[in-house]
Amino acid sequence: MNWLKKILRSSRIRNSLGVIICAAVLLELISALQYYNAHRVVERELERRAEAQMWFKAILIKGMLNKTEQLLYDYGWNIQSTLANPDLVGSELQFMVDANPDVLSAGMAFTPGYYSSRDSLFELFAKMEQGRSMSQQIASATHDYTRMAFYANTVELGEPNWTDPYIDSTNYSNREMLITTHAMPMKDRQGRLAGVFAIDVSLDWLSDTLNARQAYPSSFDLLLTESGSLICKPSPQHANVDDVDQVVRLINDSTVARQQSSSGLTKVIEFRSNIDGDVGYIFYANMKGKPHWQLAIVCYDKEVYGPLNRMRYMLLLSMLAAMALLGFIVYRFARNARNLHLASIEQERIGSELRIARELQMSMLPLNSGSFPERDDINVLGLLKPAREVGGDLYDFFVRDEKLFFCIGDVSGKGVPSALVMSVAHALFFSTSSHESNPAYVMRIINETACRNNDRNMFVTFFIGVLDLPTGRLRYCNAGHDAPIVIGKEDVKLLPVKANLPLGVIDDYQYEGQEACIEPGTSLFLYTDGLTEAMDKQHNQFGLQRAFDTLERYCGMDNVVLEEMLQSVSIAVEDFVNGATQSDDLTLMAIRYTPGIENCLLHDSLALKNDLKHVPELNKFVESFTSSLEMEPSLKSKIKLAVEEAVVNVIDYAYPLDTVGDILVEAKSNGTTVTFVISDSGNPFDPTEAGKVDTTLSAEDRPIGGLGIFLVRELMDSINYEWINGKNVLTLKKKYKS
Amino acid sequence: MKTSIEELEGKIVATLEGELDTAAAIEVEKELQPLYKSEGRDIVIECENLEYIASSGLRILLGILKSAKAAGSKVTLRNMNDDIKNVFQMTGLISLFEVE
Repeated sequence: MNWLKKILRSSRIRNSLGVIICAAVLLELISALQYYNAHRVVERELERRAEAQMWFKAILIKGMLNKTEQLLYDYGWNIQSTLANPDLVGSELQFMVDANPDVLSAGMAFTPGYYSSRDSLFELFAKMEQGRSMSQQIASATHDYTRMAFYANTVELGEPNWTDPYIDSTNYSNREMLITTHAMPMKDRQGRLAGVFAIDVSLDWLSDTLNARQAYPSSFDLLLTESGSLICKPSPQHANVDDVDQVVRLINDSTVARQQSSSGLTKVIEFRSNIDGDVGYIFYANMKGKPHWQLAIVCYDKEVYGPLNRMRYMLLLSMLAAMALLGFIVYRFARNARNLHLASIEQERIGSELRIARELQMSMLPLNSGSFPERDDINVLGLLKPAREVGGDLYDFFVRDEKLFFCIGDVSGKGVPSALVMSVAHALFFSTSSHESNPAYVMRIINETACRNNDRNMFVTFFIGVLDLPTGRLRYCNAGHDAPIVIGKEDVKLLPVKANLPLGVIDDYQYEGQEACIEPGTSLFLYTDGLTEAMDKQHNQFGLQRAFDTLERYCGMDNVVLEEMLQSVSIAVEDFVNGATQSDDLTLMAIRYTPGIENCLLHDSLALKNDLKHVPELNKFVESFTSSLEMEPSLKSKIKLAVEEAVVNVIDYAYPLDTVGDILVEAKSNGTTVTFVISDSGNPFDPTEAGKVDTTLSAEDRPIGGLGIFLVRELMDSINYEWINGKNVLTLKKKYKS
Repeated sequence: MKTSIEELEGKIVATLEGELDTAAAIEVEKELQPLYKSEGRDIVIECENLEYIASSGLRILLGILKSAKAAGSKVTLRNMNDDIKNVFQMTGLISLFEVE
């Protein structure tokens, strides 16, 4: 029964089952009502058919009997006229038998003592005997007709009448024959009762009439006398003898329940057949007029209502089939509905995950507002509008060691796959440029990873720029991205870029870097093709010229608000597309370079050789320079340590071993910030690319070296390296006074 | 820059005085060679009169610490001034030494 419990526990099946049961109950109710109505109709029909048949058969019987009555009446006149001579009566009877084949015999039973010349009991009887008619006197002591029904009844009634049928086996060719006698009183001309004139007729035709044309195959008809004895029964092949007996008994049994038919013409008795227990119905009624016989018709339930029941079973079967079909449909419907429900849940889940992904992606980008509020020399702002929840565009920027690192990129395609590639490119940009200042090198590293396992052939257009903030020198590398727009003092133009290949195409492609000098007061405007290829409803593209037109008014402007610049471009795009669906991610980034002019109040310098023995000399120089400034003793110590570490780094690495080289240390102060510039003519060497030091390692794991540049970073506010005019230039800054 | 080493109550006590800059570090490293062979004895670095230490000085002390730890002995820095303590804190080395 576990499977049953399981089935019932499934809500889908339970619901389907409920629907089917309801439908089945409803259908069953309708069909029961229909059946009841149809049963009523058939019942009426049965009565009508039975009554029509009885009426028809009664007419037939009456017709036959009428013929005999008419015959008796006609010949009665002849007999009356011959009453005076008994011999003539005999001839007349003989003549009658001759002339009418239906008449078996004719007889005249005289009132006892009517003829004085004859015996008191005198009956003349004529019949066919071996093809010839003959008459004779048959009355005797043993054949006393006055005691017979036909005579006694007729005399008593004084009118023509029929005797009850009886079987005669002696009078006619020794054959059993159903016979009835019709008799009438005969009066002579004087009005005296001369006797009773009677003829015998065969009733064999009755059984033919009754057996013919039945309403139902097993139906049969019966004819009974008024007193209920059987006159005529169907042949055994037509009806079961037991049932016939039972029917006769029931009709005669006054205790049996019977009903009037709805027309009131017949009575109905319900009975159970002796053969198979089937229910049967007896319709019976008395014939009108004389003889007052009873006609009965018997029908069986299975034949009357059989077709109806068959119809009902058919209906039941087709209903079951329909229920099964309905069940299947409901089940499928429920399953589809459930699948639909699951699909919508799944969609909801994907939707919410995409929303989270979008938030994550947006949080990876630098905040749209407040780029570097603490700096007055640089301001950067970005704007990203994904076409879908997540996009394949990216931009990023940060300042390390007085250099602005920035990038903008566009992954081919849109949506989640692009977003994933974008995340990788972004992470690589950030991690590589945290210790590497050459954009071409950063580009190569990202490209190598982008090419690895790039089965989907996704590529990324990318632009990396590194702006040295003290000098305004911009080093940049382009990988198939749109050239940035330079908004200078006088004009708006494109930054000249080598196209190179997009990332992800050839893994060992040698990306070439470029250089440009960014004048103070210049703005850089970077974008993805979501700007130039933004389309209106007629599929016209926004294009570069419209961007130029929008940006032109920022030429030579002193107080450019980057937010306003990006918004004006964004609004120009929105106005242009005029409600068309955004087809691609749109990313904008603006950089404004406004370095202040160095105000130098104090300046000193020291020239050294690349030998550690000069370190105490350096320390004295730094001590004396910082002593002339108002600052805390601990700060002085920090600055001394930082400068020593920076210079020792140059001594150790700038020149090849055993080569003597010069190192120039310049010290400057503008009243609030102290600046040390260490320059040498050695090999290009960028100490800012040194990796970070993990200060949490245990003594065993801690490397001995690598602390020098780490200390410089920690002790100073900024460290900046540039290769300028064949020299390594390292600049350290520390604010000592606010 | 002056250094001295003495044995006291089973410990090796090294006293550092003056400025331990990168130039001085070469000499100091030689002078502190005995500390690399502590042989299970704990080491105390007396810093009361140490005025300045550069990363090369930190390297020497880290080297001494590593060999001492390998021998199962402790290295204690004693009486550091604030500037020096600050350098040790900045580099995370302070958590590796015992500090008094």
